[in-house]
Amino acid sequence: MSVSYDEAEQFLREEVAAMMTIDPATIDADTVLIGANRVLDSADLVMLLLAVEDFARDRVGVEFDWTSDSAMSEARSVLRSVGSLARHLTDLQSA
Amino acid sequence: MDVVVVTGASRGLGRFCAQSLHDSGYRVVGLGRSAVTDAPFEMRSANVADPISVAEALGDLRRDPSVYALINAAGIASMNLVVTTPAATARRIVETNLLGTIYCCQQIAPALIKRGGGRIVNFSTLGVQLAIKGEAIYIASKAGVEAFSRTFAREMAPYGVTVNTVAPGPIDTALLAKVPKANVDEVVRRQIVPRQAEPVDVWNIVSMLLAPESSMLSGETLHVGGA
Repeated sequence: MSVSYDEAEQFLREEVAAMMTIDPATIDADTVLIGANRVLDSADLVMLLLAVEDFARDRVGVEFDWTSDSAMSEARSVLRSVGSLARHLTDLQSA
Repeated sequence: MDVVVVTGASRGLGRFCAQSLHDSGYRVVGLGRSAVTDAPFEMRSANVADPISVAEALGDLRRDPSVYALINAAGIASMNLVVTTPAATARRIVETNLLGTIYCCQQIAPALIKRGGGRIVNFSTLGVQLAIKGEAIYIASKAGVEAFSRTFAREMAPYGVTVNTVAPGPIDTALLAKVPKANVDEVVRRQIVPRQAEPVDVWNIVSMLLAPESSMLSGETLHVGGA
């Protein structure tokens, strides 16, 4: 059970696009998830994180903890962008 | 079968609500500090003041969309003047009553969000309104629960989840065992309905909040007996 960075990013792009009802092709690794210029409101972000929790468990085989102290830090958070979250999900495999 | 999680389900109002929910056909998952073997519903042992203990006890329900409601009835009290209350006791009261409520909400809210609706009922006390001498720390912890619930209700509203608080006056439970009868009578006298409430009076309000028809009632504190 493992996923590549590209698979994780693709999953996130599709999820974010579905919430915004736009084409996934318009979402990329730099799409901002928290802080200024974020594309999702807080309610949609929670829905995304729940989906990521399931993805992490079912596809990656790891637990994704989005309640950690650093999760919502705009500067340090793995939730900064689609790319940083995809990287975090793939990094969890080797943790 | 819809699941309702009840904290403080081993005794007192939590036990009464859990039993009533069980009798109403819900699958009840009760949480208690001590393992109870005589309950007709599932009991799990946990200390709500410890987020790790809560996560271990309820982790399997975090993603379970069959969870319909959470009732946070776990609570402790220590009737004493502020100046004679040990710091450790003050901390324990706040950790159990306020942080315990928050930890359980954090654990179960994702399941309710996934479900697309649900109910959270937290417990406060009429004492918040009445400012009862000798209960300042207990009342402060419960005032925190009321403020938390009202604000958390806004966060949960987009997902169809209501969050309300029930604030009973003195009820004949273990929590009241060491309170002199004269003090109880004085509080009851100050209620709008000057009758000491029974556990069933509290359950009737909890039951109303759980009903599908109560979907527009959120962020409120309902005072049992009135204050």
